[in-house]
Amino acid sequence: MEIARLEDGAFSVTGLEEPLVDFLKAIIPSCDPGEHPGAHDRLYPSPQPHGATAEAAGEDWREYVQPELEHLFASAAAIVKGDLKDLRVGGVLTIPAQHVDAWLNTLNQARLVLAARFDITEEAMERPISTILSNEHEIALFQIHFYGFIQECLIRGE
Amino acid sequence: MTETLTKTETRTELDLPWNVVVHNDPINLMSYVTLIFKKVFGYSTQKATEHMMEVHQKGRSILWSGARERAELYVQQLHAHLLLATLERE
Repeated sequence: MEIARLEDGAFSVTGLEEPLVDFLKAIIPSCDPGEHPGAHDRLYPSPQPHGATAEAAGEDWREYVQPELEHLFASAAAIVKGDLKDLRVGGVLTIPAQHVDAWLNTLNQARLVLAARFDITEEAMERPISTILSNEHEIALFQIHFYGFIQECLIRGE
Repeated sequence: MTETLTKTETRTELDLPWNVVVHNDPINLMSYVTLIFKKVFGYSTQKATEHMMEVHQKGRSILWSGARERAELYVQQLHAHLLLATLERE
């Protein structure tokens, strides 16, 4: 797979083999924290460290700030979903320049939710990336690294 | 005759500032964290990188200090970019 920055600031992703197309299509579903409390808390952390006043501050945050964050995350994911609409094996994925921020945000949502849902530790992140994916944990770890690679390419190209 | 002079001192205690603290998360890319510090705070690449390295090496960094309302706004923006950030009274 190759990611190249075009003259107009867009990014072109080529060399899309089937496994990578599947992982790209999995970006949006991977953003969903579902009922997993750890994943939900990671997307919507409390603004203050633990304590009595933190509880009150957290309630206000959940009531007033969290809905805005939910809307922002959903909007970013919708942009990425649109860009992935015609994705196919052997095709070209184009990320318009004005969509880069949405891609960075959505890829990060996916990485953080996957890490929380599958208990990905710092130690696991530092291990060499395995391409033999024998269980859900290995698949999630690969996704986190793969989405991180895409983020890195987008950031360096900015 | 003695005069008694009375000197009145008025001390105004300023509100203690609030710190915007970013905490380490092993998932976030260092390049991403640096980018967000530049975007949210307008920091130079050097300053943003220094804060990012402090988060990475020490687990946390104070990115900004000041009035509570602005600190809350910064924390909200950092949360919008999926960084772990909290407000702390200095």
